[in-house]
Amino acid sequence: MENGLSTERTDFINFTGKSGEYFKLWFVNMFLSIITLGIYSAWAKVRDTQYLYGHTQVDGQSFRYLASPMQILKGRIVAVIVFVLYMVLSQINPIIGLVMALGLLVAMPWLIIQGIKFSMRMTAYRNVRFSFEGTYGGVIVHFVLLPILGLITFYLAMPWVIQQIQQYINNNITYGGKHFEQNSSASQYYIAVLISLGIVLVGGVVISMISGASLAAVAEPSAALIVPILGFILLFSIAAAVYQSFIYNHLLATLSIDNVVSFNAEMKPVPFAVLMLTNILLLIVTLGLALPVVKIRTARYIASVTEVTIKPGIDALINTIEGSDSAFGEEAAGLFDTDLSLV
Amino acid sequence: MINISGTYQLAGCSKSYPASAILYDTGQVVIRQREFNQMLVEAWPDDYTYGTAIPGLAVDLEFTDGALFIPDDAQFRWPGLTNNNRLPEWLESHWVTVLSSVIIVPLFLWSMVNYVLPGASHAAVAFLPNSVAESMGEQTLYILDKLHFDPSELPESKQQEVEDQWQSILSKLELPKDKYQLYFRKFDMGANAMALPDGSIIVTDDIVTLMEQDPNALIAVLLHEIGHIEHQHSLKMVAQTTATTMLFAMMFGDINGAGELILGAGTGLLQTAFSRDMEREADEFSHKNLPKFDISPAAFADAMTLLVNSHSAAFASTDDEDGTDEESSGEKNNSEIANSLNHWLQYLSTHPDTQERIDTARSAEAGKDAP
Repeated sequence: MENGLSTERTDFINFTGKSGEYFKLWFVNMFLSIITLGIYSAWAKVRDTQYLYGHTQVDGQSFRYLASPMQILKGRIVAVIVFVLYMVLSQINPIIGLVMALGLLVAMPWLIIQGIKFSMRMTAYRNVRFSFEGTYGGVIVHFVLLPILGLITFYLAMPWVIQQIQQYINNNITYGGKHFEQNSSASQYYIAVLISLGIVLVGGVVISMISGASLAAVAEPSAALIVPILGFILLFSIAAAVYQSFIYNHLLATLSIDNVVSFNAEMKPVPFAVLMLTNILLLIVTLGLALPVVKIRTARYIASVTEVTIKPGIDALINTIEGSDSAFGEEAAGLFDTDLSLV
Repeated sequence: MINISGTYQLAGCSKSYPASAILYDTGQVVIRQREFNQMLVEAWPDDYTYGTAIPGLAVDLEFTDGALFIPDDAQFRWPGLTNNNRLPEWLESHWVTVLSSVIIVPLFLWSMVNYVLPGASHAAVAFLPNSVAESMGEQTLYILDKLHFDPSELPESKQQEVEDQWQSILSKLELPKDKYQLYFRKFDMGANAMALPDGSIIVTDDIVTLMEQDPNALIAVLLHEIGHIEHQHSLKMVAQTTATTMLFAMMFGDINGAGELILGAGTGLLQTAFSRDMEREADEFSHKNLPKFDISPAAFADAMTLLVNSHSAAFASTDDEDGTDEESSGEKNNSEIANSLNHWLQYLSTHPDTQERIDTARSAEAGKDAP
């Protein structure tokens, strides 16, 4: 008998990574990268990702990161050479700079695709790999034309544009050759934006009234400024947390693979806002040293609010992805800051 | 012989079985399905490799066909794992390496950003061909003309007067006249002067008018701008920013969210610090060269005072309405807070504190007679 499923099973994602353990791993890998003049950074990236993936368990099974350090190193070297050439040449001669900027513009959709594709194909769950099947034309439409539309409508269409972009990415991710299906609706994005804007408006008025009163009481305006500055940081964090948790819950609720998997998320704005604010605070008081701790805290929280339902069809999946790819696209996308964080 | 329970994951598909692995001293591995004790695989050392050892995670047995055996016990380490395999994990959990990393990584970043990268990029700037500075200067002036400047409205005679002054400065300092060019522009943001990397210096109508009564102040300002060009400040800033960005991109490539925010803020603070240093260097150039025109460095202090007064004139009206007299009695605490806040706000500024600049100029005047 195999441990197949006759019915579906639902459970939260189990993230088992520990702050202390990851802190040590992260710092030692950074140290080794430095003393090897960056060469070890490829190994560091693989170990780092393997740690985070391996400690992410769904239905008792871990994710695996399959990229090899040599693959990453080669991609990284080529990407750095291209990046340095671009920076130097575009500074020296404006005409070469223009040509290279145009070239980068043309290559950008390809870099985006290669970047997502590589990280998906190097991700496996139960020995079956993910992939990304976006096309050059599709990326042009979703990452160039739609954002322009959003701008010329004075951001009125922007929530719809963002919904379309996220839907496009997720719809083109495959697992075992089966497409994820994202059925998000733009109206939910508009609701999320309106709620966040409402919070900013109401909070803004309250803060202005409070700080207006304290401003009048104090002769030196710069001292009283600290109240509204802190107030607005708090306000924007809460509004951002409301928007992000609303959209995250909606995206996961409408994401599925037929008869394989579906999701449900219960991210709540206040705990999420508290997490984000304490993360920023931690980074400030430790002068950035707490970065690995922040990553673990965030991953643990997101896992703890995300429910995955495994369906019987998962036992019948066949891996469709073989071999290893070039890591150039992903590395270049990282350097040119065009890599996207998914979901 | 070792017997370990775990999961046997088939190759190329999502099926897996609860299983046990029996490892013999010969290196032979037998995988048995747990429930019926049925043998699934028999493998020799050539048929499998060990996965990577990561803290807190089990080490997979990877068969050549792609199948996996994953032990249940995350702490279990196969006896066949070589030291090479286990070295990274050992380093990552040993307190000596962890402690030295936590000390050395920030130290490295700090020295790179404060000394190595500035030093290297300043040295590299010397090797840049002139065409770089020229094209940078031309492009910047073009953009400024399009976005911020209007043609000067100063009378021809006034422009000629300043231009003559400018030519005499260049002759005295033996600077190439084809490189250093003076431009007059009208600018809404008030009295200002700026230097471009190719040797172009722009003075706004307001600053010329402001310093009409005190020509020495204008000379002090022009010398300050020449200092920027002689020290190649713009090019150094570009080179340094590029190098720092590269370093951060390579070291923290995957950061997003709060981390990116903090990193961005840190880089910004760093740039303003270097900008303040460059301003001090240009000030010093002005202090040093003023005596060549029989002008005291105090002229620079006068110029700063004139500029501050002209810029704060715009805010003065709103301040007066508050009635600054009230400040005297109970508000002392608040103004102390304000002072300390201003002290911290300095770190956000691209220029040093004006009072500091005035004081430095005055002390340069005092020191002038001593040696």
